[in-house]
Amino acid sequence: MKKAFFDELLSIKNSTYKLVLLFLVPVFLFFLMIVIFSKGVLEEMPVAVVDLDHSQLSREVTFAIESTKTLHVKYKLSSAKEAKALLSEGKIYAMVVIPHDLYKQTLLKMQPRVTAMINTQYLLIGKMILSTLSSAVMSVSAKIEVAQHLVEEQNTKTVLQKVAPISLQINSFFNTYQNYFYFLVLALVPSIWQIIVTVATVVAFGEMVKTGKDKEYFKENTIGKIIGKMLPYTFVYSLTLIFFLCYMFGVRNWEFQGEWSVVVGAVVFTTIAYQIVGLFLLSINFDYARALSLSAVYTAPAFAFLGITFPAYSMNDFALFWRDMLPISYFMEILISQANYGSDIMLTLPWIGSIILFFLLLIPVWLLYRKRVSR
Amino acid sequence: MSFLKVFMQEVRTLFSDFAIILTIIGGVLLYAFFYPQPYSKENVTSLQIGVIDNDRTTLSRDIILKLDATPSVDVKRVYMSQKDAKEAIQNKEITALVLLPKDMKKDIALKKQVVIPVGADGSYFLIYGGVLEAAMKTILTEAAGIKIANLLVKGVPLEGVKKQYTPFSLQTINLFNPQNSYTQYILPAVFILILHQTLLIGLGIFGGGVRERAYKEYDYDVPLGYTLLSRYFIFGGIFFIHLLFYLGFAFDFFEVRHLAGMEDIIAFGLVFLFATISFGVFLGSLFPVREMATPVVLFSSLPVVFSAGFVWPLEALPQTLVMISKLIPAVPAMDGFLKLNQMGASLDMISSEASILFFEGIVYLLLAVVVLKKKKKINRLFS
Repeated sequence: MKKAFFDELLSIKNSTYKLVLLFLVPVFLFFLMIVIFSKGVLEEMPVAVVDLDHSQLSREVTFAIESTKTLHVKYKLSSAKEAKALLSEGKIYAMVVIPHDLYKQTLLKMQPRVTAMINTQYLLIGKMILSTLSSAVMSVSAKIEVAQHLVEEQNTKTVLQKVAPISLQINSFFNTYQNYFYFLVLALVPSIWQIIVTVATVVAFGEMVKTGKDKEYFKENTIGKIIGKMLPYTFVYSLTLIFFLCYMFGVRNWEFQGEWSVVVGAVVFTTIAYQIVGLFLLSINFDYARALSLSAVYTAPAFAFLGITFPAYSMNDFALFWRDMLPISYFMEILISQANYGSDIMLTLPWIGSIILFFLLLIPVWLLYRKRVSR
Repeated sequence: MSFLKVFMQEVRTLFSDFAIILTIIGGVLLYAFFYPQPYSKENVTSLQIGVIDNDRTTLSRDIILKLDATPSVDVKRVYMSQKDAKEAIQNKEITALVLLPKDMKKDIALKKQVVIPVGADGSYFLIYGGVLEAAMKTILTEAAGIKIANLLVKGVPLEGVKKQYTPFSLQTINLFNPQNSYTQYILPAVFILILHQTLLIGLGIFGGGVRERAYKEYDYDVPLGYTLLSRYFIFGGIFFIHLLFYLGFAFDFFEVRHLAGMEDIIAFGLVFLFATISFGVFLGSLFPVREMATPVVLFSSLPVVFSAGFVWPLEALPQTLVMISKLIPAVPAMDGFLKLNQMGASLDMISSEASILFFEGIVYLLLAVVVLKKKKKINRLFS
């Protein structure tokens, strides 16, 4: 085991490809994801206003939209057709049509209607824009209403109550960051990481398969050498993910309520689980290129199955089954339960157990390698 | 050597390489059904929520009933204490919570301001959004009902009240994805990415493999133009069929709305294939071994998705990154296809995306020719 460990260290030292895979690729990709979401909130998203009224009120509505942080009235147009073309071209995310006679009809209490069209093809962006847009437009409406009531009663407090007798207070349990960045980066980085771990394992063992050197190398002490060869990667990739988590929870100061030792343990187990899965995919038929294709099928779509952007409770049985087949799903459960809830360690035990179950794949790997070297 | 002979040799090499076939035919077909799985449940399960009812009046019971009647929400338990509720969230028994405060009904009658806290497990973004929407709607209907009751006391006729309660209203229309469907949102872009990535992997393995074999089998005298042209025809042909399958059959199968006409799809599709094949040939010319293509392409997938602008807007990205990401054909291609096929743009509205792709097709081809010629020279020296 020791010999294989040092042999692999030497091989890494002499291989630019392996060095890049171990050190450059993860750091570069983690950095890239952090840069992509560095802004965290939407600001100055372009929208168009089609003002057919040209009144004091329509200007007030336009101003209310413009003065939000999220939206920016990039175009003031005179026809809805023009605005719709801009929507199709992706130049704006929403358009607001202020009807002719808005002011007049409001005064006459005819309750006119302002129309907003939102591009929901970009679903999440659309949802965020919709909520800002409605509250901006409706704030103008509410202001008028308060004014109307004030004329009747001279008491602001009861007027406010009349306008909105029940108000909602929106709380988030556990996760105080109302920031898209948090949700995505925390799940995206481990999703990319598991691809790298699996691929690097296939590369380390696959290069030997390609040259056929492994038949001689693994003849004696097969399982010990396999484990020894895996270990350098286990160290480096566990540390990479732990560094990332330290950066997020330490440097960027995201709230972490749980037990660090649980997370560190989960990282190490997940690394080993993915290494063994990669090794298993290779030893199915000992074809380097094919094993890489299989790793692609297995690891690439993992992010979609995690249930971070799309809730797991809405998935069908197959998707849930596939989710259970990915060690990263259990890892995310552990990470979230520790970071956000500070859950009891006992609660995470079933997840840790599930990750360790993947270690059993080492048995077929060992048997298949035995079969290969004895030929 | 004639073109036909070169072409046939390329076809033979390709179809005898199981790893490539696994990717460009097996993988493409598999992904079409595999990838949409998380989003394609037919009956949407409702969200399990809890309610802490500290008011315990007819009003609070009415609110709970109305919440439970919302199709997307299932009031699982009416919890007594806050501690119970917190435990239930940690055990994943419920994912959201509504707290109806003590004396709510009384305070409303007394015209005091009432606040109803609504909470959700913030770790899960969409669950959060969903519950807010549902709870907001129900409780706002409550609020509107109470407003009308308040005014009625003053003796205004009911007809007038209904019109009076907001000076003007806002009608919102969801364009292009009216049902807020997740499949409609994710699949059109990801399908293009899958085609792009599998095409690159196929060409990358092929390119790397050809050069590994070059010392033995490949004829140096084969004109480079012939081999390249063969590759455009072979990979172009296979992926043209894939493209029609993805944007036709697979879209219909997963009920993704698509608007563009066949001839527009084909026109933009051909530019997309031209750019991607050139890029793949160029990447393939750089890889020293056939096994390098899969990792490189694989690692790029998630960063490409999230810098393409449909999940996280381009306006929020660093502008240098936006420029760099456009160098990957998938980025302008996803953009163009979404606008053309989902957002109802005409072909000339996406002319900038098409020109970027066309330009990339030419530049990557030229770069590939330069690299391949250089390598050929080196090979010749060693022979």
